[in-house]
Amino acid sequence: MQASRRTVSRRRALQAGLSAGAAIAVPTIIPSSALGLDGAVPPSERIIVGGIGIGRRGEYDLGCFLEQSDVTFAAIADVKEGRRQAVKKIADTKYGTENCTMHRDFREVLDRKDIDAVLIATGPNWHGLMAMLAAKAGKDIYCEKPCTKNIAETLIHRDTMRRCGTVFQAGTQRRNLPHFAFACELARTGRLGKIKKVYAHPNGLRATMSGWLPAEPDPDPKVDDWDMYLGPAAWRPFNANTLKDGFNFEKGGGLVGGGVLEWGSHCVDLCQWAVNDCLPPVEYQPPANDQLVCRYADGAELIFREKGWIPLGSCPVRFEGETGWVEAGDSGKLVLSSPALLAGRKIEEIGGYPATVHVRDFLDCVKTRGKPKGNADAACNAHIACHAANIAIALGRTVKFDNATNMFVGDDEANRLRSEALREPWRV
Amino acid sequence: MPLKNPKTLLLTIVVAAACSVPAGLAVCAAEALPAEAELIAVLRSDASEADKALVCKKLAIKGSAAAVGDLAKLLANERLASWARIPLEAIPGPEADAALRAAAGSLSGRLLVGVINSIGVRRDAAATSLLEGRLGDADAEVAAAAAAALGKIGTPAAAAILAKQLTAAEPRLDHMAQAAIVCAERLLAAGQAGEAGKVYGAIRTAKVSEQRQAEATRGLILARGKDGIPLLIETLRSPSRRMANIGLFTARELLDGPAAGDVDVALVDEITRMAGGGSADKAALLVKVLADRNADGGVPPGLQATVLRWAASSPQAVRLAALEAIGRIGDASAVDPLVSLAADPAVADAARMALVALPGEAVNRVVIGRLSGADAKLQPILAQVIGARRIPAVAQLQPLVASADPVVRGAAFEALGNIVDLANLGLLVDAVVKPRDAAEGEAAHKSLLTACVRMPDRDACAEKLATAVAAASGETKTKILDIVGEVGGTKALATVKAAAMSGEESLADAATRLLGKWMTADAAPVLLDLAAAPIGEKYQTRAIRGYIRIARQFALADAERAEMCTKALAAAKDAADRKSVLEILPRYPSPAMLAVAEQASKLPGLEAEAKAAADAIRAKLPK
Repeated sequence: MQASRRTVSRRRALQAGLSAGAAIAVPTIIPSSALGLDGAVPPSERIIVGGIGIGRRGEYDLGCFLEQSDVTFAAIADVKEGRRQAVKKIADTKYGTENCTMHRDFREVLDRKDIDAVLIATGPNWHGLMAMLAAKAGKDIYCEKPCTKNIAETLIHRDTMRRCGTVFQAGTQRRNLPHFAFACELARTGRLGKIKKVYAHPNGLRATMSGWLPAEPDPDPKVDDWDMYLGPAAWRPFNANTLKDGFNFEKGGGLVGGGVLEWGSHCVDLCQWAVNDCLPPVEYQPPANDQLVCRYADGAELIFREKGWIPLGSCPVRFEGETGWVEAGDSGKLVLSSPALLAGRKIEEIGGYPATVHVRDFLDCVKTRGKPKGNADAACNAHIACHAANIAIALGRTVKFDNATNMFVGDDEANRLRSEALREPWRV
Repeated sequence: MPLKNPKTLLLTIVVAAACSVPAGLAVCAAEALPAEAELIAVLRSDASEADKALVCKKLAIKGSAAAVGDLAKLLANERLASWARIPLEAIPGPEADAALRAAAGSLSGRLLVGVINSIGVRRDAAATSLLEGRLGDADAEVAAAAAAALGKIGTPAAAAILAKQLTAAEPRLDHMAQAAIVCAERLLAAGQAGEAGKVYGAIRTAKVSEQRQAEATRGLILARGKDGIPLLIETLRSPSRRMANIGLFTARELLDGPAAGDVDVALVDEITRMAGGGSADKAALLVKVLADRNADGGVPPGLQATVLRWAASSPQAVRLAALEAIGRIGDASAVDPLVSLAADPAVADAARMALVALPGEAVNRVVIGRLSGADAKLQPILAQVIGARRIPAVAQLQPLVASADPVVRGAAFEALGNIVDLANLGLLVDAVVKPRDAAEGEAAHKSLLTACVRMPDRDACAEKLATAVAAASGETKTKILDIVGEVGGTKALATVKAAAMSGEESLADAATRLLGKWMTADAAPVLLDLAAAPIGEKYQTRAIRGYIRIARQFALADAERAEMCTKALAAAKDAADRKSVLEILPRYPSPAMLAVAEQASKLPGLEAEAKAAADAIRAKLPK
């Protein structure tokens, strides 16, 4: 074999490969003895997982992990005692043991040498920082979305995962749902012609920030650790409603967040996949007529659109090329500009299967050190697009983003919103 | 002052372009923010801490040097320091840097850590000596923060300071190393690979954690570029899982630049060495790396042939990994060798999967070409691949349907189910109607079902099946009718209704069974008709029960459901069926359903149940 310098990335025409890939579950062929995928999993090949911040969504993820024969769920860290107890009960019941340890401070889980990977399903306030601390502790990470609070944190997050050699999977499970994958592949491989527009559902074109509710008596930190709950968020007094609203609390930090980030980290992520995970758009316009238009460097548009969707369930996306289009949603259904795009298959044949596959993808990559579908690089581009769109909303004007410098062009105010100080002692 | 005291400040502040949120709670779009002077006035006033916190957020956008002094005063306030550092990190200019440096001289503990963190975010090189002085702070958190800030500053001077710290005592050493690695990245990004390499090298020889060793090793490989390949290979050979893992990770990163091709060459050599040296599992993981590196194109000449050699002859783990790799990086020239391997029981499935996965239209042409002249051993394999790849090769598969070998015939039918179009559906229909033997009939039926449910024009498909039902005899009729039921649609419904009324016992049985589980509500009028048609009491009962099922389970408008219940009560002959209609009523409480219940209470034998249903509906309706 002779060495050849890689020059231009070959765009793989899918043609038959596309239909075949989606029609047949091609197993990942990895040596079973190396991966422990043959059912009888030796202890040395088991992945020991710890959970951090496991609430309602986290319990769903946890269920996916517990289904895997090569996983042992060994520890739970949560600021809420009730949740610690509940998750321990789930894990211990599953294994018939009393071995799941409970921790108020997640750093105790990160310090454990026996734990290989962590499932992070706290509120978004903690996602980015906690994932970075886990990476530095040598853990692989499955982390719920949104993964970061602002552009600067997003970039540091990506660099940290690279630096630490971390296998990172964002909880963007739609990347592993076949009908979404099929739609993205149609776009990526030229079956729709040159892509002109990709549409994402934002679930509200509003930017938000968390406030400061009236002080209430501090709870016993052994029961509800308020200081740890606040984590990197600016200080405010304890209030039970703030504690309850973990998912929305400081979701985007700064003056940004909201549905664009919450839902966008799914829908924009799929749009990014449809355009080959290219760099994020370079221009973001403020909302008008229930949509927010962004422009990629090649002129294609990413459009956050509130209305006008074919009723295909939540999290819809639509990709329009010069010769065809496809739209997909959580119903598992697709609508296409031409039945020919189905290459002889039926939509139901393509349709979805559960998010367990996303977890499995992560675990396989933990063993092979490959890149899972929701890897940190992909998540980085999608999150930057969401954060930048939110900044356009917050400022009420068009902002231009330079992907080379990761700065807004000639807009000091927009650049100030690229990052936000973390409460002491936390840093990224 | 425009701000009102937010005693009950919002949980979530909505920043809408139109600023349409309650007065006093809004943070508007930036243009609508108060002037900086007004915001500073709040900081100087006796406004609540909540007000001042909110002002800090606004000053992050609107603040200038003029606000720095007032913000700096908050750095000693445990509740507001974190809010004040938001604008102090954002406001450009030397004033904010100076304020943070000044605060670092007077604060301690967490507050000092916060200020040092902000200095790091601002990458204030003028703070280098200040931070160096804090590296030995009695407070380990302060020392770690100072190290991290130096790492972010990322100058050669900062790197030199951190490198000196790599002899510090545990547990501080790891923080120093962590910061030094960030610093080295800064240097590398600034084009100072040599300086970065020195830092990475120093960390590798320091007594730091294995994780830091791994990070530094990755950094050193990347900093060295092509010259880093020997270290990459050494790392891949490490007995430590963490070190070997960072090798696998880094090998995937070296995709661009002059080293890329050499990395592939080195990996091929290493795979060959490992595969022959008893490390087949590790070799298999490296094959996967090789595939990941090349799956997006630019496959080096000769690589495919090498991987195919591994697929043909090497330890089993490597063979399987190689076949998966070929499916991702191979091209049409891999078809022949893969077809041969697909006949090897040890790797048959993996080879077939690779044939299915191989990208490109050219692959399809080669597969079809390979079919002509293939023997009975290869024909089923190729037929499977054609079906799985959806290659439109009906004409080429047709002769296989006539094969004397039942295995070949079965594979051909299975493939045809995946590729046949409406025009050629007759091929499968004929085989179902006139099979050569029971096995062929079964295979053809399965294939026909697969084909029919994916036909885009359901009615045209049902039309063809209706003709087939008429031409078939005996059990075949009902088997085809079952497929009609799976297809669904208007024509299918009419066909099944006709079958129910055909007078043929077996057809009526099959048809009413299908209608009883029909998945769309348009079957309701058909079922109601059949309930009154002369098809026999057994099937009439089945029909009315199917009708009641639709009223009970399907999404319908209130009025439509109520009308169906009324008709069902009239048509049902069995008392149990009529009572089951009454059970539907409270499930969908509405005035229309109440009217049905009240009307039903006048029917003999239903008074009590109807009254109970009416009461239940009334209880659920809004007062």
